[in-house]
Amino acid sequence: MSETLSRIPAGMRYYCGPEARLRRAIETAVMSIFEGWSYEEITTPTIDYYSLFEHGMGPAQAHRAFRFSDGDGRLLAVRPDVTSLVARAAATLFAQRERPLRLCYAAPVFRQQPESHTDWRRESSQIGCELIGANSSVADLEVLAIVCEVLQQLGLDRGCSITLSDIDVFNGIAEELKLDPECRDQLRRLVDTRNRSDLEQFLAQYSATEDSRSLARLTQMPGKGEILNDARRSISNSRSRAALDRITCLWSVIESLQLTDRFEIDLGDVSRLDYYTGLTFKIYLDGAGRRIGSGGRYDGLTASFGKAEPAVGFVLELDALTDILLARRESNSPTKSEAEPTPITGSDLADLFRAALDLRARGERIVIDSDEVTP
Amino acid sequence: MTKLTVAISKGRLQADALDLLQRAGLKLPIESLSTRRLAIEDESGRYRLIFVKPTDVAVYVEHGVADCGIVGRDVLLESEPDLLQPLALNIGLCRIVVAARSEADWNQFGMLRVATKYPRIAARHYGARGVAVDLIELSGSVELAPVLGLADCIVDLVETGRTLRENGLCIVEVIAESSARLVVNRASYQLKAEAIGELISSVDEASKRSEQ
Repeated sequence: MSETLSRIPAGMRYYCGPEARLRRAIETAVMSIFEGWSYEEITTPTIDYYSLFEHGMGPAQAHRAFRFSDGDGRLLAVRPDVTSLVARAAATLFAQRERPLRLCYAAPVFRQQPESHTDWRRESSQIGCELIGANSSVADLEVLAIVCEVLQQLGLDRGCSITLSDIDVFNGIAEELKLDPECRDQLRRLVDTRNRSDLEQFLAQYSATEDSRSLARLTQMPGKGEILNDARRSISNSRSRAALDRITCLWSVIESLQLTDRFEIDLGDVSRLDYYTGLTFKIYLDGAGRRIGSGGRYDGLTASFGKAEPAVGFVLELDALTDILLARRESNSPTKSEAEPTPITGSDLADLFRAALDLRARGERIVIDSDEVTP
Repeated sequence: MTKLTVAISKGRLQADALDLLQRAGLKLPIESLSTRRLAIEDESGRYRLIFVKPTDVAVYVEHGVADCGIVGRDVLLESEPDLLQPLALNIGLCRIVVAARSEADWNQFGMLRVATKYPRIAARHYGARGVAVDLIELSGSVELAPVLGLADCIVDLVETGRTLRENGLCIVEVIAESSARLVVNRASYQLKAEAIGELISSVDEASKRSEQ
């Protein structure tokens, strides 16, 4: 076969055998958990206007999409993200529905440009849920509880870490420093990469020692509740303090539920400043070099579609989950052998398929043995 | 006990990096350092060191195969891996510079031809000032390019400047200072927080001690 026909484009792949079955099983398990929490499934368009994603994800992320133009010259994109589409539906299609809206989805997303070197897939499957129209720690806790249930049901609650932060802790400090947007982004990047050495140099330009101390707090190692007490000692601006109060409230409930072994507080998580407006969290699992899910509060998103309302949600990477479960399954027990199918054969085609349909009606697994069939 | 895998740049940085780790309390078996083994364990069994090419340190750590690594800032600037870099170390100090022949006449150049092992650093540098350049990517002996007329100037890493001088080149401008960095995988930072925190603070102390 010529190379142009046999070659698979970068970042695309087939799934088959145990891997395909496992993917399907994970998707079914997670979607049924969402249903258990009264989330309604939504299927979105695969192709939509590029401007929608630009509004929804911010230009930097939307730029990663596969793009092409429609017949009328408007720019289209193959869905690089589902949340933007859900947020638009909430603001338009579901504008009159009773709040809060609880929506969930399982769908592939497509990205032409990878975000990092390890992000080789250009088609990846996301499973996620969105809770729209509820602005409270109750809503934040609801999605965190769902994450916990998903990890537990998949047998992944050992060796996992859900890191909590609130974007306003950083925003409050940056506001005090009165930075222009470019400097603010530079500062964000230094905190995001925990680059303490360069951060110190950067802050040397600003004499405010108190702010420097508070920023240094953000880059310290993640930990449990004590992080919040430490932070409160050095951070005094009201915006950051309000954010710290919100995490403290979540943490006290997590403590009461005895789930603290699954959570960490990591105030240095400032990766998507333009998107999130409050709580942010990332999900890490032993054996995966990068996060397998992330989420947070994005109160500003639906406003860009004409109906401002609070929203919180998260997304899980199905491919990463499958890789880990497959690796763990292989190391624990060899793939469980499926029951052998009943072979069906015979010389009369009508008899053969009558027998096949009978066995199928009883739910048996069959295989048509066509080698033996002599029509 | 959490075990950490640390990737070390082979070559220029290797000896200094191992020395720093020893001062930070790692007990490295001396005989294993001189051999060609690509992976060694410290005596406590808490650390496994692997030795890979400088650009590969970023690859191993970004994929999480190594939890952390010691690598030059030049590599990070060039390949822009998605990593945490909590510490600048005072080893492997050098500069990324533009160098050209001493007698070069800059007004004479039309489209600037730049030979380099660092195409992205060079592209960013000239992109920021709106200069269009013809980037010629080489993998070694970059200093030869201006001498033989392949390029007008080079963008390269310079430690002492001796190779430049010996080839009749001089530094035109400094793009960035580079030193070694301790880098950490994002997932390891969360999942092995305690062990990584310990390594960071002991390396930080050892690094600061030698500064004084």
